[in-house]
Formats: sequence, structure tokens, C-alpha cells
Amino acid sequence: MTSLTLKRARPDWSGIAFAVILTLVIIGPLVVVATWAFTEVWRYPNIIPQKFGFRFWGQTLGRPDVWNALMLSLKLSTVVTLLSALICLPAAYAFARMKFPGRDILFFSFLAGHAFPKFGLLVAIAAIFLQLNLIGTFWGVVLIQLVGTLMFMIWIPVAAFQAVDKRMEEAARDVGASPLRVFWSITLPQAGPTIFAAVLLSFVGTFYETEGAWLIGAPGIRTMPVLMISYINNQMVIQYGAVLSVLLWVPSFIALMFARRVIGGGAFARGFGG
Amino acid sequence: MSEFVERAVSVPAETAAGRRPIGLLLVAIPVFLVIWLVIWPAINAISRTIWRTDADGNSSFDLSSYAFFFSDRYSLDNLAITLWTTLVCAVLLLVICLPIALYLRFSHGRLPAYVQALAILPMFVPSIILAFAFIRVLGPNGMVDILLNAVGLPKIRTPYLTPWGPVIGLVWDNIPLTVLILLSGLGSVANQSIEAARDVGANTLRVFWHIILPRISNSILVALSFSVLGIFSSFTLPYLLGPASPEMLGPFMQRTLRDVQDPIGAMTQAVVAFGFCILFGLFYVRSVAKNRGK
Repeated sequence: MTSLTLKRARPDWSGIAFAVILTLVIIGPLVVVATWAFTEVWRYPNIIPQKFGFRFWGQTLGRPDVWNALMLSLKLSTVVTLLSALICLPAAYAFARMKFPGRDILFFSFLAGHAFPKFGLLVAIAAIFLQLNLIGTFWGVVLIQLVGTLMFMIWIPVAAFQAVDKRMEEAARDVGASPLRVFWSITLPQAGPTIFAAVLLSFVGTFYETEGAWLIGAPGIRTMPVLMISYINNQMVIQYGAVLSVLLWVPSFIALMFARRVIGGGAFARGFGG
Repeated sequence: MSEFVERAVSVPAETAAGRRPIGLLLVAIPVFLVIWLVIWPAINAISRTIWRTDADGNSSFDLSSYAFFFSDRYSLDNLAITLWTTLVCAVLLLVICLPIALYLRFSHGRLPAYVQALAILPMFVPSIILAFAFIRVLGPNGMVDILLNAVGLPKIRTPYLTPWGPVIGLVWDNIPLTVLILLSGLGSVANQSIEAARDVGANTLRVFWHIILPRISNSILVALSFSVLGIFSSFTLPYLLGPASPEMLGPFMQRTLRDVQDPIGAMTQAVVAFGFCILFGLFYVRSVAKNRGK
């Protein structure tokens, strides 16, 4: 790398162009939203707000609909993630370590959801939920979001279990460790971080899931993103939406950066068929 | 759960006991969910829209909901705007992401790392926040208007609530995965083959056309299939940023199902969407499965 930079003294113009354009187009809008969140007065032709302040944070957080939506979203995401872990992790272990009839075709069956345009499939599911009276209910939304986590929660842990060195497990068993002990002391610590990342991803993904919650949950179930939709549609005080955006985005960004680091960029792209 | 694991682990790997149906038992619930909530709804939507029950309770083969869709001016306009949006987004994504991916593949250092981080960032921005940011930047009296006004230029004609609104939002949203998939495809282009072509006098364009493009054509198709599947039936961004009429299929289906309360009509629209995407869907699934099978 150093020899390359020595040889190439002229500046990397295309890189600079990409960096400048992408900074403006990608970071720019986020900075504007963040600025709005800390603004008390910003009238049209001024380039920077007339008055900064935290007044709208207190107002936004004081709204009961915000608290209800936040609590509901956290509850939904927790229930969906726990259920998903409960049913998917044993299945992932079975796919990684056991032989059973139909293993391969069942493994790839989780791809079926990706063969359809997503919202079309949601509408088809909603038509079934209409007959089952699941529309507008908590468990209807849980089911639809649970389906959305399945592929992540099976494929990533399968890769994690497969990456565990079988010889270490066998060695532990040879010196007399019980199978549960082997699973607890050898398999889990090695597969753990990746599995944790998958769990984190499905929690964050469920928290922000908008389309299923809107289609199945309305009008009874108002999650955080659904509340944001109504804030945007009704053009209420601009700062409410901005404060919610900043509040909701920062933690998930940290969580997702962490998850991506664990999974690795290359594997991530391959998981999407790259 | 733990006794399942215990029994599973206690089976010696080499014996035929490993083929016991315990594995099937462990995967049963997720597989059941896929069948009940992915495969069955798709079949159900198709069968209920072509095998209709009339007022007397007799069911018969009946394509009238499709006949209505394809003769109704409003439905056809919605379909047209959906196809237009998908096509424009696909072309824009390719034009924007291919140069970024090529640049990232053939450069090293801190600047490319920064460019890559930026290109991947939209993946971590939920589309609802993107929609809000879009309105604050490109909406009426948004940041762009403020800046133009400051330098004495007229305001822009805002793309908010026009067909270009969803296009801009969807392209922004789909940049990360398109770049990642293209970049992963470019990984298979060997440096030596490019140097060899350079040595015999090929210029940059010829190297791209004859050496790089044939090797990444599959990745381009995968990236396009993925974005087409997502964009064709996208809901949040068209609903918040697009015009009310004509509307894209996503908001159209939602309105038909929940506001007009016409499940048959909504399912017909969904099946039409399946039909337009089937080739992309099958191609995408095949590519992922092939990748995974390696």
C-alpha cells in the first residue's frame, strides 16, 4: 500500500468526488434532521436556526402517545425476538449438525419469502388474517414480524454452528464432559457472538418494521414507526418528528454497526446473493 | 429446549442414529411458519382470485377481478407508475452504484474506506427516518430551497408528492446493498487479467467492457433482481413521498385492502405484482441458494 501511494503522487480525484458527493447526499439530510431536533425557532429564509434549545425534547417525551408507542414497540420487538430465538436456534443447530430427511430442501425453503415482492406477500397474508380475525391485534403483528426474522435467525446461526471446530467438541467429550457441558462450554462460546449479532439484528429490524405493523396492526397497534407515519402525514410540529428520529436512530445505529462487525461485510453481501 | 440439545448432542455423529427424525422435530415450527405464512398465502391469493364463490355459494373458475384490473383506467395507471418507478430506480441504481463499486474495488487507503462507509450508511437508516429527512431537505421551504435562496437562485420544483419523490427515496435506500453485491462480484475479477489486458494496450473502457463486465454480469443481475423485488411493491416511501394519484402498487394494495375493504381486489393486485416479479424472484432465490450451497 505504501509503495502505491509513493508511486501515485497525484491526488485521487475520483475518490474525492465520490466522498464529497456522498457526504452531501447521505450525511447532509441526516444532519438537517439532527439540527431540527435541537431547534426552537427556524423560519424559512435563514440558513441556520434562529434559536437552538431542548424545549421540544421535553414536549415530545411528555406526549402519552409517544410513550405508549415506545413501550408497545419494545414489547413487540422483545416478544418477537424471544419467540424467534426459541424456535430458530434449535432449528439452526439441527440444520448445522444433524442429518434428517429433506434437510436441504427445508433449509432453502426459508428463501421462499424472497421470491415474492414483499408487500404483495404481506397483503396476501393480511387477507388470511382477515378471516382469522387477527387484523388489528398484537399477536397478528407478532406473527407477521416473526416470519420476517426467520431467515436471518436461521441462516446466520447455522453458519455460526458450522464454524465451531468439531474436533474440540469431540476432545471435550473424550475426557468425559457431558453433552450439555460440551454444548455450554465449547459450542456456545464459539458460536455465541455471531448468534448474539443475529438476535440483535432481528430485535432492531423488528423495532423498525413498518409495513407489516401498518397493514396488519392498524388501527389498534401503533408502534413507533407507525406513529412517525402519522406525524409525517399530519405535518404536526416539525421538531416532534426530528426528536423522535434522533432518539430512535442513534441506539440502533450503534447496535447495527456492532452486528455488522461481527458478521463481516463479505458474508453479509453473500447472504444477499452477491 | 435444553433436553432437545442434550439428546441431539449425545447421538454419536457417525451412527445412523444421526438420521433420527429428532432433527425434523427441531426444525418443524419454523418450517411450519414458512408454509403457513409464505407459501400458503401465495397459493391462497392465486386460488381465491381465480376460483371465486358467487352469491349462491357455488364456486367456479372466474377471472373477472383480473378483467377489471386490466380494464380499469386507475389500476392501469397505478401499474404503469409502478413499472416506471421500478425501471427508473433500477437504471439510476446501476449508474450510481457501478462506478462506486469499481472505484472501491481498485483503490486502497482511507479515502475509499470513507466512501465505502458512506455508501453503506443508508442501510442503517430506517426508511421512515429517510422519509422525514427527505421532506426537510427537498420538501417545500426545505434545506435545498434555503440554500438556493441564500445565493439568490429560485426555489426548486420540489419532488415531494411527485413520482420523483419515491424514486429518490428508493434509490437512496437501495444504494448499500447494490454496492455490496456489485463489490462482492468484482472480487472475482483477478488483478492479473486486467494487467494482462493493459499490457497488450487495452484502454480503460475496453478493459471494463471486455474483462470486467462479463465477469460481473451475474452480480449485476442479482443486484437488479433484489432491488426490483423491493421497489416494485415498496410501501413506506411511495406512501409518504409519492403522489396520491396515480399511486404505486404498494399503497394501492394497502388502500384496497384496509380502506376499500376489498380483499379480493387487493389479492388480485398482489398476484399481478407476483406475476411481474416472478422471473426476478426465481433468479434471485436461485443465486442465493447457489451461493449458499458452495
